[in-house]
Amino acid sequence: MTSKDYQGYTAKDFALDEDFQQWVLQPDTSHTLFWESWISQHPEKGETIAEAITLVRSIQFRDYPLGAGDKEMLWDNLWEKISAEEGETEATATPPVKYGRNRLWKYLAAASVLILAAFGLWKIIADRPTSRATFSASTGVGQTKQLVLPDQSKVLMNANSTLVYAEGDAHAREVWLKGEAYFTVKHTRDEQAFIVHANDKLAVEVLGTSFNVKNLGPMVAVILQQGSIRLSIKEGTGRTMVYLQPNEMLQYDVLSGDYVKKRINADKPLSWTRGKLVMDRYSLNEASHFLQQVFNQRLVIDDPRLLKDSISGSMPIVYNIDTMLMQFAKVFQVKFEPDSHGQIRVRR
Amino acid sequence: MHDIHSKARPLPLDPKSLELWARFRQGDREAFGSIYRQHIDGLFHYGMHFCRDEERVKDCLQDLFRDMWAERQHISSEVRNIKYYLLSSLRRRLLRSLQNDRRYPVRFPGTTFDFELIPPRETVIILDELYQERVAQLHQAIALLSRRQREVIYLRFFQNLSYGDVAELMSMQVDSVYNLVSKAIGLLKKTFLLTLLFLPMISFLVKK
Repeated sequence: MTSKDYQGYTAKDFALDEDFQQWVLQPDTSHTLFWESWISQHPEKGETIAEAITLVRSIQFRDYPLGAGDKEMLWDNLWEKISAEEGETEATATPPVKYGRNRLWKYLAAASVLILAAFGLWKIIADRPTSRATFSASTGVGQTKQLVLPDQSKVLMNANSTLVYAEGDAHAREVWLKGEAYFTVKHTRDEQAFIVHANDKLAVEVLGTSFNVKNLGPMVAVILQQGSIRLSIKEGTGRTMVYLQPNEMLQYDVLSGDYVKKRINADKPLSWTRGKLVMDRYSLNEASHFLQQVFNQRLVIDDPRLLKDSISGSMPIVYNIDTMLMQFAKVFQVKFEPDSHGQIRVRR
Repeated sequence: MHDIHSKARPLPLDPKSLELWARFRQGDREAFGSIYRQHIDGLFHYGMHFCRDEERVKDCLQDLFRDMWAERQHISSEVRNIKYYLLSSLRRRLLRSLQNDRRYPVRFPGTTFDFELIPPRETVIILDELYQERVAQLHQAIALLSRRQREVIYLRFFQNLSYGDVAELMSMQVDSVYNLVSKAIGLLKKTFLLTLLFLPMISFLVKK
């Protein structure tokens, strides 16, 4: 990568470059490191890079998903045949591995102890029997991560988020979330509940469903896309149960304990899971919240008139702050200027 | 200036995959299971784009993994890219299976490997008629690409095979692969980027 003279590249040249494509399509550490540092050293090429990213991303193929059931059946049939051919007597000689088991959890088991110690809020875990294994995963600034939990449930973590998973309870699958994540929960045969704890007062209980939890400290928002979920909210000494239907959102104010349920179009706030930012009368204030959530970067808006402008449309979410800023600058028709305090000021 | 000479650069297998491959060849079922899980979705997707015949794809996949296990000691220990190995094997099996099946039309349906071009901004389409016209032109241009040419685009952009690997799999020159991808990107650029330049003016409703 380093040997090439990218300085003179046009958007098309970048879009044709194998290393550039690799970074856009399937980024690994070395490509991400290279391109992020290259972009930060060549801010003048930002627009060209954004165009090239759009080009590469524009080529999409129809999806043909293979269902989890099909996958297992294919695998089981395969082993039946192999066993028959190898003349094995044990019909149960299927491999000991489970589908989708993510080794990440094993690697992170040790680290999770430290992370847990850091979250005093989550001391609930400490009250549980120590025999339960806990695993954790976290994402940093500008990162997302897709996880498959040991029970096959899928979690797409947004940036700046931490998820802790406790395993071993026969009656419940439980996770603790800080930040934002989209869950696709696998329904189990024995109707085992899946619980997401946002804090010690609010928990989401599900059987099998798709939903999004955004836990940014003082405000927690739970959005249900499919299925049904029950929210358990601690009020005083008792607990209130609130049920959500698809396309309903519950917002919970941690300090006051107030909550409100709303009907919404779940696709819009969940567009981040599809790599898109869908903006519906979106203001710079919301852009600032987005940048804060994903990149820990706040905007300073000195001119209050700027807050009145709002836009509608959508843009790809690129987990690179310079590219995102460029996109926002274009649609809001503003300039972003970093100041000496590491803040970004917005100017007309 | 363009580094298309990656044909001379065999992507070395990363140490993890190398170890996985070695364990599989020694008969480690867990390693074999890992390889299956890592690649089954991508292989199924390729198979479905190849012939749109789910049962045939599943049969070929089952045979592929069964033979792979049975032949594990005879498979090369120096597989450069597990995905490439699996895709090329699946491709051969699908072709053989289709050739042996008289019921199947010799010609592939025109829709295989059809790629869609997802416009970068939804709003652009709604607001700009000129843009819609360009998208229609683009689709016509894509329809003019042969099935084989579309497969090349698919292997590079969906399966993420290197230009060199795509060339090898399709028995083509690397330069031809590169030129084809260049043609597709050129089409896209013509369609989208002219519009992108005017984006702030036409695609967003700025409310004051």
